[in-house]
Amino acid sequence: MQIEITPSVKNLGQKNLGGVVMYRITDKKDLSPIDYFIEVEAPHVAKAWKPGQFVIFITHEKGERIPMSVYKAEDGKIGMFIRKLGKTTLELYHEFDVGDTLWSITGPLGKAIEVKDYGNVVFASDAVCGHAENHATLKAMKEAGNYTISIQSFEDKENVYPEKFLAKSVADEYYLTTQDGSMGIKGDFLDVIKGLIENDKVDIIFAGGNLGTLAQLAELTRPYGIPTITTIRQIMVDGTGMCGSCRILYDGKIRFACRDGPMFDAHKVDWEDVIRRGKRFLELEKRARERYLQRLNEKHGKEVF
Amino acid sequence: MAKIIKERIPTPERSVDERVKSFAEVNLGYTFELAQKEAARCIQCPYDFAPCIKGCPVHINIPAFISKIKEGDIKEALRIIWNDNTLPAITGRVCPQEDQCEGACVVGKVGTAVNIGKLERFVADYAREQGIDKELLEEELKKIEPKDGKIAIVGSGPAGLTAAGELAKMGYKVTIFEALHLPGGVLIYGIPEFRLPKEILKVELEKLKKLGVEVKTDYLVGRTVTLEELCEEYDAVFIGTGAGTPKLLNLPGILLDRIYSANEFLTRVNLMKAYQFPEYDTPIGVGKKTIVIGAGNTAMDAARSALRLGSDVTIAYRRGKEDMTARIEEIHHAEEEGVKFEFFLNPVEFIGNENHKVKAVKFEKMKPLEEKDKRGKRKIVGTGEYVTLEADTVIIAIGLEPNKIITESKGLKVNPNGTLVVDETLMTSIPGVFAGGDAIRGEATVILAMGDGKRAAESIHRYIESKKGA
Ligand SMILES: Cc1cc2nc3c(=O)[nH]c(=O)nc-3n(C[C@H](O)[C@H](O)[C@H](O)COP(=O)(O)OP(=O)(O)OC[C@H]3O[C@@H](n4cnc5c(N)ncnc54)[C@H](O)[C@@H]3O)c2cc1C
Ligand SMILES: Cc1cc2nc3c(=O)[nH]c(=O)nc-3n(C[C@H](O)[C@H](O)[C@H](O)COP(=O)(O)OP(=O)(O)OC[C@H]3O[C@@H](n4cnc5c(N)ncnc54)[C@H](O)[C@@H]3O)c2cc1C
Ligand code: FES
Repeated sequence: MQIEITPSVKNLGQKNLGGVVMYRITDKKDLSPIDYFIEVEAPHVAKAWKPGQFVIFITHEKGERIPMSVYKAEDGKIGMFIRKLGKTTLELYHEFDVGDTLWSITGPLGKAIEVKDYGNVVFASDAVCGHAENHATLKAMKEAGNYTISIQSFEDKENVYPEKFLAKSVADEYYLTTQDGSMGIKGDFLDVIKGLIENDKVDIIFAGGNLGTLAQLAELTRPYGIPTITTIRQIMVDGTGMCGSCRILYDGKIRFACRDGPMFDAHKVDWEDVIRRGKRFLELEKRARERYLQRLNEKHGKEVF
Repeated sequence: MAKIIKERIPTPERSVDERVKSFAEVNLGYTFELAQKEAARCIQCPYDFAPCIKGCPVHINIPAFISKIKEGDIKEALRIIWNDNTLPAITGRVCPQEDQCEGACVVGKVGTAVNIGKLERFVADYAREQGIDKELLEEELKKIEPKDGKIAIVGSGPAGLTAAGELAKMGYKVTIFEALHLPGGVLIYGIPEFRLPKEILKVELEKLKKLGVEVKTDYLVGRTVTLEELCEEYDAVFIGTGAGTPKLLNLPGILLDRIYSANEFLTRVNLMKAYQFPEYDTPIGVGKKTIVIGAGNTAMDAARSALRLGSDVTIAYRRGKEDMTARIEEIHHAEEEGVKFEFFLNPVEFIGNENHKVKAVKFEKMKPLEEKDKRGKRKIVGTGEYVTLEADTVIIAIGLEPNKIITESKGLKVNPNGTLVVDETLMTSIPGVFAGGDAIRGEATVILAMGDGKRAAESIHRYIESKKGA
């Protein structure tokens, strides 16, 4: 059986017994050919959210619980940056529009990072979740009196986000890099960080994005003993500490990324396993993605994605 | 005295062939005629003596409701059960009756005990099908006198649902806060469809709604809202957050792929319906050979779910057959369905292949001693001998601890094992905050959680009254 989802009537079902909950989509914009911004009404989450914490949403009744970082939480709304990756993130992009509703949003989840005066605070990011956190974290750090340095790395010029979604506005010092040098500095954020360390400009580094780069960052800063806090993305189910899907080895002990993280001291993380465990369901995910894309393309009578 | 009928009237069950391919409920329950026949086996012990009533954690008047089945008056039977237990369709299915009411049954001394659990379930199911429970609920609704007082319930497992129902019937305004996207606790995320159809839970939740209870899902207390904030807004709080944190074995290889905690496995399968992937989005990877470690209800549920997903399944337990803690019916069903058992094996290492997928588990062989531990089980020791069993999927079901997030709340006293400290009225170290169920007991049972919910509701009522008086 196929799931038929007709936009705008799909989520009127009464999930919460107290009444119909509406997590209405209030804004949706392209950030790049592969990433998009989405804003959803979720006052209970927006009110409590602090930098470092994430949310979990479900698009519809048959959906998966999907963890997401938060770009901003204001006026009862949650803004997120999402990469079109597999079934859910593609479906959300192609079938949900402003005015439609999501089935569930829980949060904030995880621990907030400590916002205080550290001195010079760096946030480096090279992928979608990291870019959201970059902005969110530095905004709070700047308000707390820190000197904020933001580094954002993209594939190439075409993939750079529109200016208003970059972390520039919350950074005292800002670097943009592209892998191919088509815009800003050529290379990734590691090179920029090396330079900053040499100039003795770093008191603490936060980072989010590709786990591979984050692992390299950990090795880069380890000899200098610079506190390095990174997001550990693991496959999650509940996000409340109830299943252990997100378990990692941290300082030799089992920790749950959803409950004890998702920001961890990068120097204590067992990176090899963290990177590998993200691929646990690869074959099944591929199946779901292909099945969905086939449906999508059939619906539109052409190759949409 | 009439002659005792020694043998139980069996309940119809789905055939094994059908079962192993489907998540449909295994036991089909008594029909009206069969229930009356089974009810006739009860010798009607007097109230003050009846061992079954003493064996029941919430002391349902069992002989009385059984006698109403004999008379064919199911409405009265339900009314009697509801006096002590508002979720009989659920407890009739999941209680460990052999250790409780049925274990104490006098008929059981000369034959097999009266099938009290299945009779309880029959009353609830029949009443639901015939709309009798709705009539009874309408009567109760008419009796409710609204009272001043707002109460917050944290967690929607059997403890929270019962406390909510009782308080709503007393006339209080009740709001449940649940972290997950659907209410029910273990009843929805843990216990599989083939033992407890979700439809039954749904009907119970609709009753609560009729009673005016509001359920806010997607609220993780401690994160979305703090306990302190709830205390400011509500006159009293009940914590029924359960014991959902899986104990994992910190052994070499624990991070290999296809090693799940039973909770991850069961949540994916039950709550997220991964057994219907890809129609539902959540995936689950199960191989050809699954080893389940542990032998409680959780282990049986995981084993039988893996079996239904097409795997060959072996339960490996570090103790002996007679030490298994699962309900007898579940062990029996698991055996019938082809789950294999290996005893006196304690895991020491998970072995992976070149793709970091688990391929085998190394166990140390154990042996029992004469000496017993605190729970009355034989102690075991290692023999220094090892065996390796092949497996491409491993499910760890060695126990659960209380959920942590709420227990970190300011002012809440916690025992070393993670359970909340409560006094005899079930009040925690914070005045006006009560707790019950697995959150105070650790892994226990549905009926004990419900019993706590009811007791806490009474304590909350007294607490609110006393505050008014002051
Ligand atoms: C704390 C945290 C924050 C995140 N923040 C962002 C963000 O800001 N923006 C963003 O685009 N993505 C973010 N992600 C990743 C996001 O959850 C996945 O991209 C999403 O689940 C993919 O779903 P899918 O169905 O589209 O793709 P799938 O095909 O199902 O999965 C693609 C890949 O995503 C990862 N993934 C899949 N399911 C899960 C899951 N349940 N939990 C975690 N990872 C999963 C796996 O590595 C998988 O191989 C975050 C993940 C975590 C844990
Ligand atoms: C797989 C399995 C099979 C079982 N089989 C049986 C059986 O056959 N018979 C039997 O009697 N018992 C059985 N049990 C045990 C039984 O289910 C539990 O004892 C019972 O559910 C405890 O009820 P509870 O209300 O205390 O908590 P739970 O049922 O655990 O519910 C707690 C709820 O609180 C929520 N929660 C937790 N933290 C928060 C928070 N901070 N904020 C908001 N919500 C929160 C959780 O999401 C959950 O929904 C089984 C348990 C498992 C796991
Ligand atoms: S996602 Fe289940 S414990 Fe973290």
